[in-house]
Amino acid sequence: MSSSEADVADLVCQLDNVQGMVDALSSVRWKRHQDSVVELSEHGIVLIVEESGCLQAKVYLKKELFVSYEYRAEGRPRFGISLGLFVDCLNTFYVPGRASTTIEISYPGPDMQLLLKSVDLPDPCIYAEIRTRIPDTISWDYNFEPAGSTPLSFTVKSAALKEAIDDLEWPGSSIQIVMQPDPPCVTFRGEGHGDLQIDFMYYANTDLLIGFQCDHMVSYRYKYKFLRATTSNIPSSVIKDNRGSKLTIGRGGMLKVQHLVSVARPSNQHSYIDSAAYQQPSRIAYIEFFVKPEVDEEPVNDS
Amino acid sequence: MKFKAFLTDDGITLLEKRFVPALDKMGRICHLYLTKDHAFFLHNLLNGDGVQSIAQFRKESLFQDYRISSQNDDRIAFAIDLGLLHRALRSSVSISGQGQGDVTTGYNRLQVKLAKKLTPNSQQPTPFLTFESKGYKSAVIQDVPISKPLSRADVMELQSALDMAQDLPQTLVQGPDLLQLQSFVDRLKHVGDLLNITVTQYGDLHLQLTNTLVTLGAEFRKLPVVGVQVQVPAGNENMSAQSRTKSAIERGEALSVANSKSLKVQLAINGT
Repeated sequence: MSSSEADVADLVCQLDNVQGMVDALSSVRWKRHQDSVVELSEHGIVLIVEESGCLQAKVYLKKELFVSYEYRAEGRPRFGISLGLFVDCLNTFYVPGRASTTIEISYPGPDMQLLLKSVDLPDPCIYAEIRTRIPDTISWDYNFEPAGSTPLSFTVKSAALKEAIDDLEWPGSSIQIVMQPDPPCVTFRGEGHGDLQIDFMYYANTDLLIGFQCDHMVSYRYKYKFLRATTSNIPSSVIKDNRGSKLTIGRGGMLKVQHLVSVARPSNQHSYIDSAAYQQPSRIAYIEFFVKPEVDEEPVNDS
Repeated sequence: MKFKAFLTDDGITLLEKRFVPALDKMGRICHLYLTKDHAFFLHNLLNGDGVQSIAQFRKESLFQDYRISSQNDDRIAFAIDLGLLHRALRSSVSISGQGQGDVTTGYNRLQVKLAKKLTPNSQQPTPFLTFESKGYKSAVIQDVPISKPLSRADVMELQSALDMAQDLPQTLVQGPDLLQLQSFVDRLKHVGDLLNITVTQYGDLHLQLTNTLVTLGAEFRKLPVVGVQVQVPAGNENMSAQSRTKSAIERGEALSVANSKSLKVQLAINGT
């Protein structure tokens, strides 16, 4: 791209950790062909995916994640892009044996493409132009509101959450999540081909259930396949860093699942410091899933 | 049609440790083509599909007492399973140990020959490539099944494909780091099937994949050039990879081919 084209681009930004971005975007890729909508703003990039009106996921890539972030658009440009293609293209920029590769992302190209190119590699120069489309105008209604004055939330180790949800595959299609304040406990229950109940007791497993806030008992059912999508592609770096995922139940039983994915530049200089303690706080991508509860039967909501 | 020879220790090592495992990765089945002076391992030369690979050995680099005769100008070709060949070689090595071959007596030397044998379930004799390790008191024989020898016409076709494949292009560039290239091509597989490969006469290699949704490419620059070579055009530096390649093709300084699925690599390995 010539410099004059770069001058009029809505966004030109550079990122030095392609793998981190691949990890963040892959965590919301629960099937092979998935459409996504990307929204650009002065604060960063948000990518949104949706399925069946029941499940929505957002990846927040704040501008602090980028080495440079030049935003010049009026309003907030939005475009549709195939998530799988975007991730597969980003993946080709990874060069084995190199700690990191810096890439430049710009939008729009001459034909409204999303443009990617490697900038710190003299050789080879890798580039990609991904076609975008005009996004659907349907507004996706996932207004998440707190259920009451006290948020109903718990934070659980991501690995334990993933394991629990994977185990619930066996009983089947519908999973009940129960939170109760006394004794403080979260229960996942599946009834189908068989019954399986997994309890996270707050005081018994403080290393698993890291945080817990609940002032009254709630219980909602969620489709297993949507619940599974929230953890099926958690990047291995999140599991390895032993991070927590936060789950919040909002008004009407809307479930919010949040993960944090590190997009920090891989560094060996600080390996003697505990990796969990040494996190550049600004270099985290936020992943949020919103899962609507099942409504076909009466919600079991004893408060 | 007769073929009989002794594999030298160097020949066994060369095949067992290096070439057969490497060639096996190109494809299980290949043609073994034996002439008066050379032995060739050939992949996909007849059907023209997939990766073509040619490994050529002078008979001295593998064999001693090399004897071949056929009505087709002493040329014999047949298809062989490289996995089975490798097993037979490995097993022969472990039986005889290395460097023990006695040239004068023939003991402990590994003889290889073409043979036809009757198998239990068949009336027709089946062709084999037979490996025979002979000790003072024992002999171990490994029979590697092979195809029926190729007809005269097929051997002619194999030879002419071989002649054609050995015409080197006018310009060759030395490939970039193979691991890097392999990793890149592996990742490209997820994005699309058809790859354009362009080589310029000033040492640029450009791989590009284009379909309706995406254009994705990598340009390796200033690689060493063998053969016809030109100076890097002035003003080339400030262009994008795509326009650089396009103008090189327009000037006739680049050649471009389209390949599906995988890089088609012409591999010519000449035995010493």
